[in-house]
Amino acid sequence: MTPEELKDLQVDKTVDARGTACPGPLLEAKKAMGTIDPGQVMEVLSSDEGTKKDLPKWCTKKGHDFMGIVEEPGYFKVFMKKG
Amino acid sequence: MENKKMTMALFSGSLDKLTAAGIVLSGAAADDMDVDIYVLLQGARAFKKEIGDNPDKLPMAENPDLKQEFLNSLEQLKVKTWVEFFKEAKELTNVKIHICGLAGKIWGGEKLEDFIDLADDIVGISEYITSAQEADVHLFI
Repeated sequence: MTPEELKDLQVDKTVDARGTACPGPLLEAKKAMGTIDPGQVMEVLSSDEGTKKDLPKWCTKKGHDFMGIVEEPGYFKVFMKKG
Repeated sequence: MENKKMTMALFSGSLDKLTAAGIVLSGAAADDMDVDIYVLLQGARAFKKEIGDNPDKLPMAENPDLKQEFLNSLEQLKVKTWVEFFKEAKELTNVKIHICGLAGKIWGGEKLEDFIDLADDIVGISEYITSAQEADVHLFI
């Protein structure tokens, strides 16, 4: 999906992990993923640069759909759909 | 799909290496790995009840003169303590923490109650070797 499409996307769950460094965002994402249903969309807010590599890889390995990253001032959003 | 298996020999009892072990463990937890940790010599000291999360009682493996800066940075970055990392990993995946019997005795720990609550049992060396032989990932920290 393009960043424009992602910005308009209706998300089912938002995880704000901006206050934490690695491995905080990864663990927050894992915990939150357990609370949503397959097919639902989650966004993870992070300002930890390593998260941009970590979360897409984690999604692929765990069978979730990594949808893309949108940059915001001072942080970014990682979008994923539960598999 | 069966979970991947990680075996960690945790020899170190220093603040910096325990923190690193906690972060590696978090990655394994996020990946739903089954983890067996064998706490060896210096590690067993850190797992004693009266030591655990008390940074005053734990040395640094490297840059000992920068201990306070290290602790300040961890606090500023909201990084968990090593015990908190281990605790969270145990909540997220199947982590078993085994204390080496000899190591425990060296530091005056004979029984499971002498160690922080995260410890599951006290074992001998052959369990570690067997676990390492069967593991997908084997680390010595």
